[in-house]
Formats: sequence, C-alpha cells, structure tokens
Amino acid sequence: MLKLAKVARHDRGSPPKQDTQASMSRPEITNNNWDEALTFVALQRDRSAYAELFNYFAPRLKAFGMKMFGNEQQALEMVQDTMLNVWKKAVLFDASRGCASTWIFTIARNVRFDMLRKKQSRKDDVSADDLWLNGEYPEQEADTDTSQWDTQLLMDKLAPYFTSLPPAQREIIEKVYLQEKSHQEVSDELAIPLGTVKSRIRLALDRLREALDGARN
Amino acid sequence: MAHAIKFHPGMSLLEQHAEGTLSADIALAVAAHIDLCPHCQQLSRDITTDLACQLAQQPVKTNNTDWQQMLNDIMAQPQLPKQATTMQQQVSAQQAEPIIVNQREFILPRSLQRLAANRCKWLQLGGIATAKLPAGNDYHISLLYIDKNTEVPQHTHLGLEMTLVLAGKIVDENGEYSAGDLLINSPDDTHTPRTMADEDCLCLSVLSAPLKFKKGLTRLLNPLQQFFY
Ligand SMILES: [Zn+2]
Repeated sequence: MLKLAKVARHDRGSPPKQDTQASMSRPEITNNNWDEALTFVALQRDRSAYAELFNYFAPRLKAFGMKMFGNEQQALEMVQDTMLNVWKKAVLFDASRGCASTWIFTIARNVRFDMLRKKQSRKDDVSADDLWLNGEYPEQEADTDTSQWDTQLLMDKLAPYFTSLPPAQREIIEKVYLQEKSHQEVSDELAIPLGTVKSRIRLALDRLREALDGARN
Repeated sequence: MAHAIKFHPGMSLLEQHAEGTLSADIALAVAAHIDLCPHCQQLSRDITTDLACQLAQQPVKTNNTDWQQMLNDIMAQPQLPKQATTMQQQVSAQQAEPIIVNQREFILPRSLQRLAANRCKWLQLGGIATAKLPAGNDYHISLLYIDKNTEVPQHTHLGLEMTLVLAGKIVDENGEYSAGDLLINSPDDTHTPRTMADEDCLCLSVLSAPLKFKKGLTRLLNPLQQFFY
C-alpha cells in the first residue's frame, strides 16, 4: 500500500480537495481511505486508485467467499463479479450514503445470493434486488428510542449483559460507557470509520434492550 | 406511518438477512417487514456497516491467486457512463402498480412488487383469497387476503408459519396486529386469526412445507430466540 499522506480520514465524508491537480496526479491514498479511492475511480477513471482498491479488497472478498461457498472456484467467481461491478458502477457510489467498504460488501452479498439462485436455475425467482433496496429509504424522523435512555442510570443494570455482546460491539460499548471515550476517540483508536462506531453502539444498545426485556418491544 | 409497529424480527434474523444467509422465502418476509419499518431499516443499516467493517478489517494471508490477471481483465471492461446516476434515480422513482383483490387496491412493499406483478392469480374461498408468489423453495409463500369479519380456519400445518401484515388489521388469541407487524408461530402454536367487523386485511404468509422441516428451521425455533414472537 502507498505511504499515508496527511489527508482527512474517510469518515469525515469530505471529497478530495485537490480537484485542480487531481486529473494530473492523485494524492496518495491514506490508510484505509477507500471512499476517496473509489471517488477517484468514479470521477477520474483512475486505474491506479482502482488497483489499490482491488489489491486490498480482492483477497478479503475471497476469504469471505471461501467462508460462504466453501470452495475456491465459486469464491473467485464471486470476487471477480463483485470487483467488476465496483469498476463498472463506481459512478453510482455515493460517499454521503455510507463508506466504500459497505458498498463493496453489499455488492458481494448480492452477487453471492444471485449466484446461489442461478445455480438452482429458476426464472421469476427472488433476486438480490428484491431483498435489498439499492439505495436509501426516505429519511425518517430520528429513531429516538436509544437516545431516550438515561444511559448512565441504565448502564449499571446493563453491565452484566456486556459479556453477551459480540466482541466487536462489546469492545466499543466498554470504551464509550465504561472508559467514557468519545466516539471519535474510539474511531481513531481502533482505526475504524466513525459511522461504524455509531452503528455498533446502536446495535449493542438494541441487543442489551433485548436482553433486558427478554423480548423485543 | 400512523401507528407503531409492535412485532419485529429478532436481531439474529436481521443479521442473517443483512448477511444474505437466510433462505430466500424467509428473507423475503424479513425484507418486506424492513420496507415497512423505519426502526428495522436503521438496524439493518447498522448491521450492514458492522459486517462490512469486519470484512474490510480481517487480516488475510497472501496466497498464490493470480490477482494481476483478474485485475487486468476487469480494467479492460468499459465503465458505466456518468449519466448512469440520473438513470438510476429515474428507475427508483417509478410508481408501483397496485394489486387488486376483492375490488380493493393495495400497494405492496417494494420487495414484493416485482414478484407479485407477474402473477397474482387469486384463489378464493369464502372471505379468504390467496395468491402464491413464485418464491418458495423450502417454504410456501403467498399473499393472503381476509375480508372483513372473517375467521381463518384453524390450520394444521407441521412447520413454521410467518405472517406479515401488509394492510388492515388481524386479531388472534394473543393480540392485535396491524401493518408491518411480523408474527412467527412455531408448529406447536395453534391460533385462530380473524378480522374485525369493519376492517379487512392483506398479509404475506410464509409456511414451511411439512417434509422440508430441517436445519435452518430448528435454528429459528431455538428456545433462546423466543424474541421472534
Ligand atoms: Zn421492525
């Protein structure tokens, strides 16, 4: 991977600033700054940015495919199809709606689902496009569920359930509520996007509520 | 939506849906619930973000795959033109055709529209009409319309039953369900759903075929996961 330069982290959602120079020379891709790389692929048809994305994600997608299919041939077919879609459809990526890794993951998931269905060769069948909306649902009023919680008061009650959380969620909830770190600090510390920190907190709180109620709602 | 949805799929169903590992028929019912439920839309977004981050962060060993060849093949392909963005917006703005049953019009959730558009052959029996959707592999999936003031005969299927209320209202011994509510009944549950005197009901119904009661199901019926109800 290229050496990291001082550029805003990908979770800030700001497009690259050196627009005038960009067509000549692209700033080096920062550590995990895949949103920016993908934006370059979309706007500049930048082959080296794509190659970096490819080199990072292809082996990881293969590992994911191996887990899902259990054989290398299908795993590689999934990687090829997914990364071809990333190349072709880069213009459809919208960094304001989520990060590049999420976009690539959903493409891989959909490709895999449709591969499995095609194997069963039924026309007029459920497709990935039926199951997962391509885009965003219209904006709703903020889900106030979790913010209504008097979190400090409830944390004592909830702490015993922390161990039942998936490790990735547990790690974050402990940092935020026990060590009282800010979301940004946790994001920096774990080198994961800010959006992922927020997502994991919401998921953990929902799980804890399930554990506390014994049932959802 | 005027009312709050009370019955949601449990977290593990939502996770399996985001991951793409549910069987297609169950996934379709979960997808239709998500279409109707802002709360689960948010959860699904969060789960997807989480899974994607796990994918991106996993360490990988270098191996002998010939990535360079694949990379070259891909970059030899043309990319979509930049106008593709606006075309996509136009597609998603298309208005859905309503389905008609018992002289009533209903707009289905997005996830069901395509499958229902081609074939909605209704079979009617008294106040109840069903139309099979071409989705079932392991399960039988259909639209179920129940006229006002009608009782569904107690059914004796052997497997899992999922019912998603799409419009109107239905009641049974355990409660009252309106649009968006997802009910999951295990084989042991017997219930007698019926409609009220003044309101009909359209549902999506997923039934397991008795002979195909297997792995995925026992997982869903695990007593630890009773929060599905
Ligand atoms: Zn829901």
